[in-house]
Amino acid sequence: MKQDTFINHREPVWREFEQQLHAGDAFKGSFGALFREICADLGKARARNYSPMLVNRLNDLVTRGQAVFYRDKRAALVRLAGLVRREFPLALHDNRYFIGFAIAAFFGIGLLSYLLAYYVPATVDVVFDPSTLEDIGDMYNPAGPVQDGMRDRSDDILMFGIYIYNNISIAFQMFAGGVLFCAGALFYLIFNGVYFGMISAYIVMQGYSEPFFSFVIGHGSFELTALVIAGAAGCRLGYALLRPGHLTRFSAFQRAGKSAMPLIAGAFVMLVVAAGIEAFWSPREIDATIKYIVGSALWGFVLYRLVRGCVYGT
Amino acid sequence: METVLDNVVSVQLPEGVSVDLVPAGIAVRAAAYLIDYLIRFVVMAISFTGLVALGSSGTGLLLVIYFFVSWLYYIVFELRDGQTPGKKRLGIRVVQDSGLPAGFSAIILRNLLRGADVLPFGYFLGLCSMVLGRDFKRLGDRAAGTRVVYQSQHVPFLTDNTEKPYQLRLPLTTDEQSQVMRFAERSPRLSDSRRQELSNHLADVLQVRDQEAVERLRQMARYYAG
Repeated sequence: MKQDTFINHREPVWREFEQQLHAGDAFKGSFGALFREICADLGKARARNYSPMLVNRLNDLVTRGQAVFYRDKRAALVRLAGLVRREFPLALHDNRYFIGFAIAAFFGIGLLSYLLAYYVPATVDVVFDPSTLEDIGDMYNPAGPVQDGMRDRSDDILMFGIYIYNNISIAFQMFAGGVLFCAGALFYLIFNGVYFGMISAYIVMQGYSEPFFSFVIGHGSFELTALVIAGAAGCRLGYALLRPGHLTRFSAFQRAGKSAMPLIAGAFVMLVVAAGIEAFWSPREIDATIKYIVGSALWGFVLYRLVRGCVYGT
Repeated sequence: METVLDNVVSVQLPEGVSVDLVPAGIAVRAAAYLIDYLIRFVVMAISFTGLVALGSSGTGLLLVIYFFVSWLYYIVFELRDGQTPGKKRLGIRVVQDSGLPAGFSAIILRNLLRGADVLPFGYFLGLCSMVLGRDFKRLGDRAAGTRVVYQSQHVPFLTDNTEKPYQLRLPLTTDEQSQVMRFAERSPRLSDSRRQELSNHLADVLQVRDQEAVERLRQMARYYAG
C-alpha cells in the first residue's frame, strides 16, 4: 500500500486516539482497542519503510498511549502503605544476614563503647570535648534548665522538625552512601554506635539514668531499629558491587536496589513514627514507670515484627 | 550487523511492536536540574520569610519543609507523570527501561540514590555512570531500572521549500530516509566541500557527483518530507 493511501485510510483513527489521549482515561470507551490498532499501524509503517515523519508520529502516539494505559493511579500514600505492609517484611527476610550484620555492628560496638567508657572513663574525654559533654549532661540533669518543666508546645514542634530532618536525612545518606562499597553505611553505624554507647555510659555515671532512660526508651525502639535497617539496606547495595557473583556489577546493583528499596521505605515510616514519639510523648512529665511500661511495649512490638519479618517474611 | 546511526534505543512492547526512545543527555538533564534547583530555592526562601517570625515552632516547620524540598520534591513530582517541573519544561521524562511509566518503587529508589550520585562532589559519580553507557543512566537509574528520555523525537525540519521533490527508484528504509533528511537539515551549516564529500559517498547510488549529488539529496529529502 502506498504511504498516501495508508495515511488517508487511517488518519481518522489516529485523530480519534489523540482526542482520547487528551481525555486521559484508559478505561473509557474504545481506548484499548484504538491503542492496539495504533500499535499495529506503527508495525506496518516500520515494515513498509514509510517516511520518518509518519513513523515518528506513530511512535509518538504509541509512547503517549503507553503512558496513559499503564499509569498507576493510586495515591502515593496508599502505595506506600501497601509497600510497608507487604514488601517490607519480605525484604527483611530477603536481607536477614545484612540486618544481622548491621545489628552486630551498631549494638555490638555500642555495647563495647559503653563498657569501655564505664570502666575506663578517661576514654570519654578523649572522644568528646568537654563542652559537648557539659551540654549533654545539662539536658538530663534533674535540676538543670531542660528538665524544669518549662518546655512548651512550640518547642515540641521545633524538636519534631529537627528529628524529621536530621534522622531521616542520616538514614537516607546511610542507604546512598552504601554505594561506596558499604563505607557510607558502615561509617554511620559505627559512629553512632560509639556515640550512643559512650554518651549513655557518661550519663549513667553522672547519676542521671532515670531522666535519660525514661526519655529514650519510648522512641528508641523505632529510631534505633530504623537506623540499623537503613544501614543494612546501604550494605546490601555496596556488597552487590563488591561481590556481584555471576552477574555483571551493574545488574547485581540493580537487583540489590530492588531488594533493598522496601527496607529504606520501611525505615522512613519508622523514623516518622519515632520523631512523633520523641517530640510529643518522650518529653511529657509523666511518671517514669508509665514511660518504662509504654517504652517496653513499643520495644516488644518492634522486635517482634523485626524477628517475624527476618524469619518468616511476614 | 546493525550499524548505529543515532542515539536511539528500541524497546519491544507487549503489544508486538517496538518503539524508539531517545535517551536525554547530560546537558539537557543538567539544565532541568538547574530549573528544579531554582524552584526549590524559591520555595525555601518564601517559607523562610513566612515562618521565621513564628519562633521555635516556625523553625521546626521550616526544617520539615526543608526535608520535603530536599528529599521528596523529585519523588512527589515524578510519581505523577515522570516529570519534575524542570523536566517538563525541557520535554524529558523518567520511564522504565521498557518505556512504560516508572513505578512507585523505581521512582523512590532512583531519587534516594541521588545521595550516591552527588558523591564525592557535584554529581561526580553520577556523571561517571552516565558516560559509561549509551543511555546516560546515573547510578539511581541503574539501580531502579529507569531512564530519562525525550518525550517526542526530533523530526528534521526542512525550511527550504524551493527544492523540487525527487523520487529515487531504489526504495530506502525509514532509517536511511531519515539520514537523508538530517543531511538536508544540516547542510546549510556545512561548507561546500564538506557537503560534496558527504554526498559523494552515495555517488554510485545517485549516479551523479559533487554539487549535483548535493542537490539530488536535498530534492530527495524534500520528497521524503512529503
